[in-house]
Amino acid sequence: MTLFALLLSVAMGIGSLAWGYAQAGLMSFARWIVIFGALWLIAIWRRWRWFSYVGLAFNFLAAALGLWMLDFAPGWMFAGAIGGLLAWDLTDFRYRLRFAASDEERHAVETRHLRRISLLALVGFGLASLAMIIKFQFNFEWALLLTIVSALGIIQLVNWFRKRTY
Amino acid sequence: MSRAIFLGLLIFFLLLASLVTLHGAILALTIPLFLYLFYGLWRGPENVKFRVHRELSAERVAPQTPVKVTLTVTNLGTDIEELSVEDVISPALNITDGSNRHLISLGKDASFTFDYTVSGPRGGFPFETIHTEAGDHFGLSRVTQDIRTFGQLFVFPSIARIKRVPIRPRRTRVYSGTIPARAGGVGVEFFGVRDYESGDSPRQINWHVSARYPDELFSSEYQQERVADVGIVLDGRERSNLFAGGHTLFEHSVLAAGALADALLAQGNRVGLLVYSAYLHWTFPGYGKLQRERILHALSHAEPGASQIFEGLQYLPTRMFPIESQIVLVSPLLQDDFPTLVQLRARGYQVMVVSPDPVAFEQSYLPRRHEVELAARVVRMERDLMLKKVQRAGVQVIEWNVEQPFDQATRKAFARRVQMTGRV
Repeated sequence: MTLFALLLSVAMGIGSLAWGYAQAGLMSFARWIVIFGALWLIAIWRRWRWFSYVGLAFNFLAAALGLWMLDFAPGWMFAGAIGGLLAWDLTDFRYRLRFAASDEERHAVETRHLRRISLLALVGFGLASLAMIIKFQFNFEWALLLTIVSALGIIQLVNWFRKRTY
Repeated sequence: MSRAIFLGLLIFFLLLASLVTLHGAILALTIPLFLYLFYGLWRGPENVKFRVHRELSAERVAPQTPVKVTLTVTNLGTDIEELSVEDVISPALNITDGSNRHLISLGKDASFTFDYTVSGPRGGFPFETIHTEAGDHFGLSRVTQDIRTFGQLFVFPSIARIKRVPIRPRRTRVYSGTIPARAGGVGVEFFGVRDYESGDSPRQINWHVSARYPDELFSSEYQQERVADVGIVLDGRERSNLFAGGHTLFEHSVLAAGALADALLAQGNRVGLLVYSAYLHWTFPGYGKLQRERILHALSHAEPGASQIFEGLQYLPTRMFPIESQIVLVSPLLQDDFPTLVQLRARGYQVMVVSPDPVAFEQSYLPRRHEVELAARVVRMERDLMLKKVQRAGVQVIEWNVEQPFDQATRKAFARRVQMTGRV
């Protein structure tokens, strides 16, 4: 079940990005994205877990590039990025699943995880789309506030994380 | 790199990109990442504390006997979304049923019990660590704990029962036993005749001798039977035990040593064990069931090994064995061991060598070819010659073809020895 979901999320992520780029007429970019997707599938087959990190970064950067420089339709780009996030998550989850002793145990953990990650992906996609619909003027004051909030937030997160893992 | 840190860096980079480009869509792209990170860290384990209880269905078993291990983990901390529990076991143990690791979700004060079955070869296997990894569903924050526990499984060698090991050391101990003590007194075997002493039972009077002397009476004396000191030396040298292809005679030697120790202790003797391997492991001599247990423990841990010092038997620490006691050497024997055996005899020890036959053993797994047969004949002749020399030095040699069970193989040899020593 996890493998199927993983393959589906890679296909969704890569397919959305490639489709978005292809629709804008950038066929060579789309081709490279598909080639990367094929490489990702090989990495799944070979169990190269590190490749999912590359995949996640690649999907988000490709989506950001499409949104910023080429002004693509955000729907495909968001779908591509979320597909990458799902694939990255499921790769690690698949590795953790090796501890499951029986099919019942595996099935229970898989069901729980897939339910939560799907819900999270939907909420994330929904919120991102909502943010695109409710547009506001992105002026310098907003940017400054956002920078301060983000920096503090990330510092807080890292501290929190360090305290909790020992 | 931690997953949470990687995610944080990606978020930071996208935020930075959105600020540089002043593009709101890139900012919106960070929302799913933020959600993921927040949810993961929010649901991560805070207070991780467990109580564990392990139970083994048996702690002392024979090789390859299944042992059921039951483990209960109780969560004394907060809810844990994803918990992997692994009972760390020795790689030599074989899990025949169930699994020693599980992936579960464990609520506060909830317990999870699982069991699995293991079996293993001879040895001592500790059950000391339970490895736990608690985390959130997304694996962003993980708390790893190794919980120390106490438990051990001993797999003792399967010991064949031998009725009697006929030994006759020069010196015995004061306690009565089954070994002829070369001294007159109460016993079964006729020892000699002496003058009648007041208090002697009329049944002791030797009438045949007394009839020749009308004025005197003579009493028969019987040989006293006592216990003796026995030192068993288990040869664990790699050069004498290991053969091509990883085949080893050592397991057979361990079985023989165990069976001999068991029989000698059952006869009431004081038995010690010396494992002569990469290092010396000495089990101090003792009597009875407790000593049997000690020797079995030592045998379960015995391993063959190589060392430059203990390459030959010349460093056998004879001071560990009482003077004129019995030494039982369990060894396939090498050509250069002969002088040591002669020295032992010269020092007054009674020596018995139980030798698993390396030629027959090696031949049993080699292909049946003319060259192999020829080589085996040559090696057999050399070995026979050496064994004859050893016997001529006054050492009792029992050669054991390991294809036969030890008790069966030694029955005839020990019976012959009993006849030689005049015992029934």
